[in-house]
Amino acid sequence: MKYSIFSLARAALSGHKNWKPTWRDAAPKDRYDVIIIGGGGHGLATAWFLASEFGIRNVAVLEKGWIGSGNAGRNTTIIRSNYGLPGNTGFYELSMKLWEKMEQDLNYNAMVSQRGVLNLYHSDAQRDAFARRGNTMRINGIDAELLDQAALRKMLPFLNFDHARFPVQGGLLQRRGGTARHDAVVWGYAHAASELGVDIIQNCEVTGFTRDANGTVTGVETSRGKIGAGKVGMAVAGSSSRVAAMAGLRLPIESHVLQAFVSEAIKPLIPGVMTFGAGHFYVSQSDKGGLVFGGDIDGYNSYAQRGNLPVMEDVCEGGMALIPMIGRVRLLRQWGGIMDMSMDGSPIIDKSPVDGLYINAGWCYGGFKATPGSGFVFAHLLARDESHKEAALFRLDRFQRGAMIDEKGQGAQPNLH
Amino acid sequence: MSNSAIPSSTIPMEGSSVAEFSWEVRSPLDRALVAGPYGAQGDAGVALTEIRNFDLVQVMARRGKASEMAQAAQARFGVAAPETPKSIGTSDATLIWSGPDQFFVLSKGGKHSIEALAPGFAGSASLSDQSHARALISISGMKARTMLAKLSSIDLHPDVFGVGAAAATSMDHTSVTLWRGQDRGGQAVFNLLVFATFAESLWHTVLDSAAEYGVTISHSEEL
Amino acid sequence: MRIVCPFCGERELGEFTYLGDAKPQRPAADAGEEAVYDYVYLRDNIAGVMNEHWYHGAGCRAWLKVTRNTLTHEISAVEPAAGAGAAKVGA
Repeated sequence: MKYSIFSLARAALSGHKNWKPTWRDAAPKDRYDVIIIGGGGHGLATAWFLASEFGIRNVAVLEKGWIGSGNAGRNTTIIRSNYGLPGNTGFYELSMKLWEKMEQDLNYNAMVSQRGVLNLYHSDAQRDAFARRGNTMRINGIDAELLDQAALRKMLPFLNFDHARFPVQGGLLQRRGGTARHDAVVWGYAHAASELGVDIIQNCEVTGFTRDANGTVTGVETSRGKIGAGKVGMAVAGSSSRVAAMAGLRLPIESHVLQAFVSEAIKPLIPGVMTFGAGHFYVSQSDKGGLVFGGDIDGYNSYAQRGNLPVMEDVCEGGMALIPMIGRVRLLRQWGGIMDMSMDGSPIIDKSPVDGLYINAGWCYGGFKATPGSGFVFAHLLARDESHKEAALFRLDRFQRGAMIDEKGQGAQPNLH
Repeated sequence: MSNSAIPSSTIPMEGSSVAEFSWEVRSPLDRALVAGPYGAQGDAGVALTEIRNFDLVQVMARRGKASEMAQAAQARFGVAAPETPKSIGTSDATLIWSGPDQFFVLSKGGKHSIEALAPGFAGSASLSDQSHARALISISGMKARTMLAKLSSIDLHPDVFGVGAAAATSMDHTSVTLWRGQDRGGQAVFNLLVFATFAESLWHTVLDSAAEYGVTISHSEEL
Repeated sequence: MRIVCPFCGERELGEFTYLGDAKPQRPAADAGEEAVYDYVYLRDNIAGVMNEHWYHGAGCRAWLKVTRNTLTHEISAVEPAAGAGAAKVGA
């Protein structure tokens, strides 16, 4: 159905009792042109772009649990395109432009809110690095502003500007960055894809691949039976290695747990998204009033979707160093998501060495903001068998070729970036 | 004054003395420690005493030489060196476990300085003089255990951490060696060795934690 | 998660640092690029029981081999890694 002021009025007149499910919960058919494994934001976005941009509508999205039950439902909802390395800069801006028109495209309110993303700097060297990144962004047509301390004192008077070790000297602001409502993004893509004929199949766990004599993937085996496919794309985040292993592949990926936290609701305080540049802490405030914040990965391999106390302590210490006044705010909830940590911190969107199998993985802790861009370029790859130009560097073999995209310049281990 | 301290030296350059360095032994807590009462008034619940001017040598077995090191320690001190996390007192030294096949020798007056120990451990262990690399803080008082519980994840209950128990652990993200000495006046005494450069930071953390109980601060040269 | 250090006893996680999968072995100098690529970049990324190296840096500073289930964080065994403790292992 089409959502509008009229559909809302009609539903209101009948006491909101006649709303239909926003997307169709399908049963698997025998065969599809394309099967996407993973019913998160990336998988659903891929299916929608395949149907809407590339004319491929005989598509199924297979989800082991319920859609949005993985990292799409376990993130901190930040969107931004403030990257400095070739490969990342253009791709994330492509994604940002898609965020900006998503709600109209999908006919769905995803609560995209461009309230700004601010990276704080605490030293002259960090200011120079941020200035360089900001200049790179502006050369590429992306908005960026370098703010000094005086500007920040007006904007965020509660920051610990005169901290003895980590004084806040200024920040790099991307005003077009912000947040989006994570569940609504999933439901929006599901809604729009389903309208175009995509089958969304839940409780359908992939247990293996069917392959022909040449080794080409011809479909998948699932908990709901065999399903044939012209092509299979995987967008399964923290489960990437497990799914790839079913096709005999090993990936340059480790799965790590990343925790996030929500405080009790407080009055409006944090205007946008803010990151501490001298420790692992970033924060925004949800529309309900809770402080939504997080930090670094726990630092050990995990598929458990829960973390441990040392990182919780570290994140809260970072928050206290930056905003001492939150010391008496109570923590309400905490959760963990499983990050597919690639070895250089950048994603992999590529054909796999197995014919018929395509990989969308390695998003580390940055998958949410990439959702529309990832869906678009992955659909491009699946439809045309060649990389989109903004994803041309996200190749699986770049580690072998020494062509890594190491945004933080910190080395080839997940615990380093 | 420890005999490993060098009183002073001059550095001659081009025939003239450009600077005169005074190598004076000072405690890492020299600036931070203010003797007297601190925090809540009334009877102090915690006593903090910095011990100054000690000899501290780390003894680490060379690869495959743990039993030779143990024999050398037995010969030197008349007791076996600790092989598990504990401290062992002798008449003139304390041997404190600091890791697998390694221990500290804490003493005073040069009798067990690195120079004195070196011949006995030649070939079996590597020695490292830590006399000026660590600060030593002795913590006692009715509230010592309660205060330490804020900083340490070690169970310090007397049933678990008795006299002579030791631990290589961390407090406030700072590596420490913690051990329980002989009781004094019926009260437990906890000793804390911390890297000199981290000592001031940890000292402030300890003071913050102890303030609510009232603190008596002092320093001493008595081990 | 707590780790029972074979030297120190049960300790909180904050005292330890993670290295990762204990299985990969550094290839010989003449093993070739493929072997080095495999060693540096590729991972089994096991979902289940995995042998790992952890370092007790804020404790006894020994390297440990920990057998841990990455699905549950359950630790079933901890032993000194080769070389930890100058005399006991790998002498």
